Amino acid sequence: MAELAYYVYCIAESAAAAQLPVESLPAAIEDDSKLEWISVNTLAALASKVPRATYSEENLAEQLTDATWTAIRAMRHETVVEFVAKRVTVVPLRFGTIYLERGGVEQMLAYKGRELESIIEQLRGREEWGVNVYYDRAVLLSSITSVSPVLRDLVQRAEQAPPGQSYLMQKKIETLKVDEARAAVTRIVDQIEQTLKSQTDDARRLRILKVETTEHGELKAKFAFLVKRAAFEEFRDAAERLAQEHQSAGVRLELTGPWPVYNFCAG
Amino acid sequence: MSDFDQIIVGEEWENTDLSLLETLDHVLNRGLVIAGEITIAVADIDLIFVGLNVMVSSVETANEVLRRRQATE
Repeated sequence: MAELAYYVYCIAESAAAAQLPVESLPAAIEDDSKLEWISVNTLAALASKVPRATYSEENLAEQLTDATWTAIRAMRHETVVEFVAKRVTVVPLRFGTIYLERGGVEQMLAYKGRELESIIEQLRGREEWGVNVYYDRAVLLSSITSVSPVLRDLVQRAEQAPPGQSYLMQKKIETLKVDEARAAVTRIVDQIEQTLKSQTDDARRLRILKVETTEHGELKAKFAFLVKRAAFEEFRDAAERLAQEHQSAGVRLELTGPWPVYNFCAG
Repeated sequence: MSDFDQIIVGEEWENTDLSLLETLDHVLNRGLVIAGEITIAVADIDLIFVGLNVMVSSVETANEVLRRRQATE
């Protein structure tokens, strides 16, 4: 039999783990393995065995360059953590937390016990929701003239000016439009952040890995919010009001979740 | 609702591109980092993600991954 290692998905309280027998859990990251709870005192780590050769430091780096292999493993990791997070409070671990022996997982639980317990306490009864803000450049540029008095005035004067002067003014209008549009987007994004932040327990602005142009326009900002389950309706209503308010400026909001609290477990 | 999208994670996976990317971003770039006995250099994750981005832009591959995901549920 090949040598094995332990892949760890997430950490919950032992009492919570007891409510989730392993037979009820989704499939493990590797086909020929089952999930198991490794419990030490009040905490339990959800883990499964993986072939040590595949998940060794040098081989894993190589494996990860295979996007399909990685995507499938990442999705399985997510499926497991989502399943648990829907039912009990859980600390999701980043992909690729691996121990050589069961004893290593137990040591980690014992050593980090207090820190993990305090994270669980902060997360109890809460979920992570993502808000993506998109904007449609063309819509915003065309609506900006009507909302900016400076621009409106300039457009009127350019229409009445002699051709040479009008041409120069037109140039100025185009530059101003871009500037004003940029300022408007920044203002709107800040307003969305502040409004939603005030409704939630915590907020993170996430980096955008690449400029994604979708049917909704260009992705301008990504946020993660820590939301009490009991306060979700209000949070969603606030997001919907913001979406309606800024629709005419070409701004669109997208709410994703509930996620396991990936962005709020750094302690 | 025409002016507002709410994507429930784990349900509306028909929004393949976005949901898959969002999920990969969460799982690979976030979550509590506990130094295990085998660790992936975090710096590498960005490179991996670029590769995934390319893969995800092929809808067919993304669908294949999602099918396998559902098969594991």
